[in-house]
Amino acid sequence: MPRFDLYQEEYHPSPLQNVWIEFKRSHLAVVGLIFIVIFLLITIFVPILAPYNPDLQNTNTLLLPPAWEANGTISHLFGTDALGRDVFSRLLYGARVTFGSSLTIVFVAVLMGVGVGAIAGLLSGVRSSIVNHLFDSIMSIPTLLIAIVVVAIMGTGLYNTMFAITLALIPQFIHQTRSFVKAELSKNYVLLDKLDGASSVRIFFTSIIPSMFELIVVQATIALSIAILDISALGFLSLGAQNPRIELGQILSQSLETAYVAPWLIALPGLFIFMMVLAVNIVGEGLRSALRNRFNH
Amino acid sequence: MIKLFIRYINLMVLTIFALLVLSFILPFLFPGDLLTNISGITPETAEQRKVLEQAFMLNENIFAQFQMYIENLLSGNWGVSSSSQISLFEEISSAFPATLELVFYALLVATFVGIPVGFLAGLRHHNLADFSVVTFSIVGYSFPVFWLALVFITLFCLQLEWLPISGRIDLLFEIEHVTGFIFIDIFLSGLEESKAAFKDAVRHAILPTLSISIVTTALFVRFTRRSIMDVMEKGYIVAAKSRGFTQWQIFRKHSFKNALVPILPILALQISTLFTNAMIVETIFSWPGIGNWLIQAIYQQDYPAIRAGMLVVALFVLTLTITIEFITRAIDTTKDETARAAV
Repeated sequence: MPRFDLYQEEYHPSPLQNVWIEFKRSHLAVVGLIFIVIFLLITIFVPILAPYNPDLQNTNTLLLPPAWEANGTISHLFGTDALGRDVFSRLLYGARVTFGSSLTIVFVAVLMGVGVGAIAGLLSGVRSSIVNHLFDSIMSIPTLLIAIVVVAIMGTGLYNTMFAITLALIPQFIHQTRSFVKAELSKNYVLLDKLDGASSVRIFFTSIIPSMFELIVVQATIALSIAILDISALGFLSLGAQNPRIELGQILSQSLETAYVAPWLIALPGLFIFMMVLAVNIVGEGLRSALRNRFNH
Repeated sequence: MIKLFIRYINLMVLTIFALLVLSFILPFLFPGDLLTNISGITPETAEQRKVLEQAFMLNENIFAQFQMYIENLLSGNWGVSSSSQISLFEEISSAFPATLELVFYALLVATFVGIPVGFLAGLRHHNLADFSVVTFSIVGYSFPVFWLALVFITLFCLQLEWLPISGRIDLLFEIEHVTGFIFIDIFLSGLEESKAAFKDAVRHAILPTLSISIVTTALFVRFTRRSIMDVMEKGYIVAAKSRGFTQWQIFRKHSFKNALVPILPILALQISTLFTNAMIVETIFSWPGIGNWLIQAIYQQDYPAIRAGMLVVALFVLTLTITIEFITRAIDTTKDETARAAV
């Protein structure tokens, strides 16, 4: 028997769907999301997408300008560098390393940060206070300094700088999780769980995590943009990715030698990094305002 | 209040102690000879090694070594750089003020541009001006600083040839090093051409300051805008409006200070980003600051220098952050212990 319908639509979107509806209303945010998807596709499918081998040196075409300039050719879209390597392919491979390693960093930092933060939030007293203060202090040490110390101990390399940046990013997740868990523990729905006899671990996984999810996602977008900037900055200072590996910041620092004759070699890698960070920031901003306004209809 | 003060002093002492312990352990972790890592001198003979070991008490137990390390630190005897053999204390005291100078200019620009613009955008939100300010701020803090610096160099130094590429001041000016802050030093030097020197120093400072401050300004704009928008929705603002105050009166008496309170702790967090950016930009503009110096130390594997430089920068940033946090808490007594202003 069909149910009685007073209204045409009797459909209540879930909170997550509400976020998506609100997010879609901002066209800019959707464009940012499309860019992130493009960068993700580049990261995954770069061997198929890149027109040339990034290390292939074609000595007949050195320092070819980009295709839109008078002496450029369409076969090398962004021209070639001082060793005759195709810049477009190198940028795609570089974007893969930069974006991929930043994603990994944020993923690890979220896991570790939420884990430790949850423990610190569920515990209380001296232990919690020590954890809090210790990580607060790490948070205020400049990332570059942590990276310099890590590089001094372990040597240069992509993985070592990734480790350093992860170390610098974890504290903010710990802090956020800890304050959130602490605030949530005093709310009524958690009290209800407690009265039902749930253990604190169960409360964390079934009650707190679902409501914390969005906060963490927003925080992760901020962390992702910081991670991209830091990875490429360390690559630029030649502390990060070393030579056979291609990374956007490292491409930038290598093209400094030909800055006079080939300014596009400086402009393009930086533009790639900038677009990546901008897309992440726009999506983060869109997500934040969507979360703020999702129940305002 | 006193309780709060004691808590923060306690926190500061604990963190400083942790940092000291960390910097004490570092030479044990660095690759290479422990003695060279600590002293910066590579002993050539067995006797020299013995003397050095005696001086740094390497044969004693670890606590005696730590005590020795602290005593040396306090007496300004920080060892020598293993690449230049110059006393680290001297090198750092000439390099660190240069970085501070750069950070200070950037903070000045960010405060006097970012906060007013943020207020303007927040008060008249959802119109064209606000939209363009928001766009500028998102674009602004997405710039990689090192790229921004390079773009400025290619544009203003190589193409237009308006501004100098590197350094703090033209080498022709012989400015005596007194405080380390170039403008004060020029003032103190009493040179005849001090006006020309001043002008030259300003020209050198413009590009590095601009490259760092764009990112920080954009962040300040954003935080201020958010904060004033939140404040304007509060009940006491509505009450003031209903009593017939003008927008300006409300802003001056009610919302201005209340909007600044949540911004302060976020600004404290930005200091570490600011230092990172300043240190990166220094290497590009050959600004003789601590960032440039530390990066050179890494390239030359100068471990004593890395240790001392790290300790100084970290101590400074931590002290500054904790002080600002204390001030915030002292101003805003309602604030919960764990709460931190949302972005």
